[in-house]
Amino acid sequence: MSVIKPRFFPYGTKIHGNKLTKNSPTETMPAPSKVYISVSQHIGAPAIPVVNIGDKVKKGTLIAEASGAISANVYSSVSGTVSDICDIVNGLNQKQKHIVIENDFSDEQAFLPPLADFEPQTLVDRIRLAGIVGLGGAGFPTAAKLTPKTQLDTLIINGAECEPYLTCDYRLMMERTQEIYKGIKYVARALKVSKIIIGIELNKPLAIKEFSEFSDLDVVALKKQYPMGSEKHLIYVCTGRKVPTGKMPFDVGCCVQNIKTVLAAYNAIENNIPLTEAYITVSGRGVKKPKNLKVAIGTPFPDLIDYCGGKSENADKIVAGGPMMGKALVNLTQYVRKTDSGLLCLNKNETSSDAPTNCINCGLCARKCPMRLMPMYIESFALAGNFKEAERYGAMNCVECGLCAYNCPARRALVQSISMAKAKIKEMKNGK
Amino acid sequence: MENNLIYSSSPHIKTTRTTRRIMIDVCIALLPATVMGVVYFGLYALALVALAVAFAVAGEYIYLLIMKKPFKEITREFDFSSVVSGMLIGLTIGTNYPVYAPIFGSLFAVIVVKMLFGGTGKNVVNPAIAGRVFMFISFQWAVGAWLLPAIGSVYGETVATSATAVVDVSKGTVPALSVIDMLLGTGMQGCIGETCKLALLAGGIYLAARKVINIIFPLIYIAVAGLTTTVIGGFVFAFFFPAILSGGLIIGAIFMATDYTTTPNTLCGNMIYFIALGILTAVLRYATNMETVSFAILLMNLTVPLIDKFILNKPFGYKKPQKQKEAK
Repeated sequence: MSVIKPRFFPYGTKIHGNKLTKNSPTETMPAPSKVYISVSQHIGAPAIPVVNIGDKVKKGTLIAEASGAISANVYSSVSGTVSDICDIVNGLNQKQKHIVIENDFSDEQAFLPPLADFEPQTLVDRIRLAGIVGLGGAGFPTAAKLTPKTQLDTLIINGAECEPYLTCDYRLMMERTQEIYKGIKYVARALKVSKIIIGIELNKPLAIKEFSEFSDLDVVALKKQYPMGSEKHLIYVCTGRKVPTGKMPFDVGCCVQNIKTVLAAYNAIENNIPLTEAYITVSGRGVKKPKNLKVAIGTPFPDLIDYCGGKSENADKIVAGGPMMGKALVNLTQYVRKTDSGLLCLNKNETSSDAPTNCINCGLCARKCPMRLMPMYIESFALAGNFKEAERYGAMNCVECGLCAYNCPARRALVQSISMAKAKIKEMKNGK
Repeated sequence: MENNLIYSSSPHIKTTRTTRRIMIDVCIALLPATVMGVVYFGLYALALVALAVAFAVAGEYIYLLIMKKPFKEITREFDFSSVVSGMLIGLTIGTNYPVYAPIFGSLFAVIVVKMLFGGTGKNVVNPAIAGRVFMFISFQWAVGAWLLPAIGSVYGETVATSATAVVDVSKGTVPALSVIDMLLGTGMQGCIGETCKLALLAGGIYLAARKVINIIFPLIYIAVAGLTTTVIGGFVFAFFFPAILSGGLIIGAIFMATDYTTTPNTLCGNMIYFIALGILTAVLRYATNMETVSFAILLMNLTVPLIDKFILNKPFGYKKPQKQKEAK
């Protein structure tokens, strides 16, 4: 319909975008000779492999089945032979079962059965069947998100992409506008909502222009202010509703979906293709030719880096995801998952490795915290092992956006301590 | 595969602002006042400031060396906060102080007030304020008469020689100096760095522009102190500007009260802190005219943990837990 100004939100920080790949179109990277597909690429129970070693699979064949309501199917991303099913400790130090498939380069595609109708329930079932999860990074199974207990009234599409460096969502919004639009309509239909808002950051004026052409979408031009892509904050600036602490977006009648998620939904519904590809930005000044890529899930990270010209000598840190919330890799035995949206090779000048010093109580972390927490107290309680007090100070509300540690002049690892506190508090609660 | 990757928790990018950068900014902001102090009071003033800084830094090194920290490591982690303390100690004494005053003042401030409590960020009160009060109490007997700056009054009455530098509301006297003279510090007795208010304000504007301090808070402090003095003096508005521009109020408000470590962490807490500080300063000034700003800040510093304990931010989306109504 029109471009709407977002609601004023006084916290958060403007961070230099560093969008190196803003103008490079999405390239399709040829599938590698071997893919390693994890069965646990989502939040919830790992999927159970349904193929055996030696089985022939096509691109789009179900290889692991969801094991419960909060789980997701996994499909083969290449055609070939299953050569191994084994546990691999990946670059994030997580032990996960991977299905290894040898590519025969015949590129045969297996399709899902065509849909009988476009009733909401059918659409939700298709999204569940296609193994679609929240592709913004969390990996929460989308079908579970589309079946809330109460009727929602607003669908919000997250096109903020507030993380520096990452541009794959932006490129998709420009290149696949029609498909994304149709995907949004399908998701809205599945949710039975008519009000659709798409939030796009102001540093993507072309994408805002593309989407403002559609008469049944409201485009909210978000300020360039990290973390506008955070679910709770996106809901607030778009609708003025505050998600109460400890509650979920559906409690305020909203559902937030990522650009890539709706594109995957479109592919599953219109083209009957399950989720086998990931869009990923390979960037950072430690890689020779930064690119936006469409890759087969399960592609090893070294292949991605090689495809982008290799990494330069001084690339010290490899990050899966964006620089604010992404995770640094211990080594490169990491394979593309559904939820991956970035692979950054950062050099020494880009990352900071200063040793932490004493907190000088400047209060900047509290002033910048989008959740209005007081990270310095939570940190000191966490380091002292007093997790009860850390919880009283709201540790569980932390969205781990990283702004506190980003702004900290004393270079304290605030996020690390807070997420440790969160894990301990969860443990305490489960123990009871 | 390669194992030379750096592994750390997110975020992987950080601002360029560090503790050291902030402290260097404060040093830069203090430079105009230092220069004006030397212009007004001569090389003896420079010697006092230099001694204060040198011994503040030496104090930190000596303490850390005794604590068996390697020299190289101390230098690498040196964050310039002791330079700031030293400068403030040098600037808040007059040229009537003996030469050993800043030496003991700095050593006391850095070693006893800062390092013994755990170094930068762990001190309970502002080291510079504590050092100043220490010198005030310890060296009273050695302090001579206040000296006048080299440049005399440039505007208005020239009877400045006998003027008191501080408004004495209880006696109803106002310094016989024009506002412009008070702003420039010409013809006015005072400490080395406190005399030229214009230089201090320039430093304050620099700090605000560099986003080191929020200029609102010193302004609140100064305004509240001025207004309270006016009210105590029986709504005599003539007290307002002299109250603001005399004594150590401006250097205290801009450089000492805004010290991160000894101010509350929340916006609301800061409001309370600075308003209370303004009132306390004015009331203390009514009772006495000795080191009121220092004592006011020192006292309020001690209330900061209390303010921080009770005034907290509410998390985004926080709702007061509703009291459950009892079923009838």
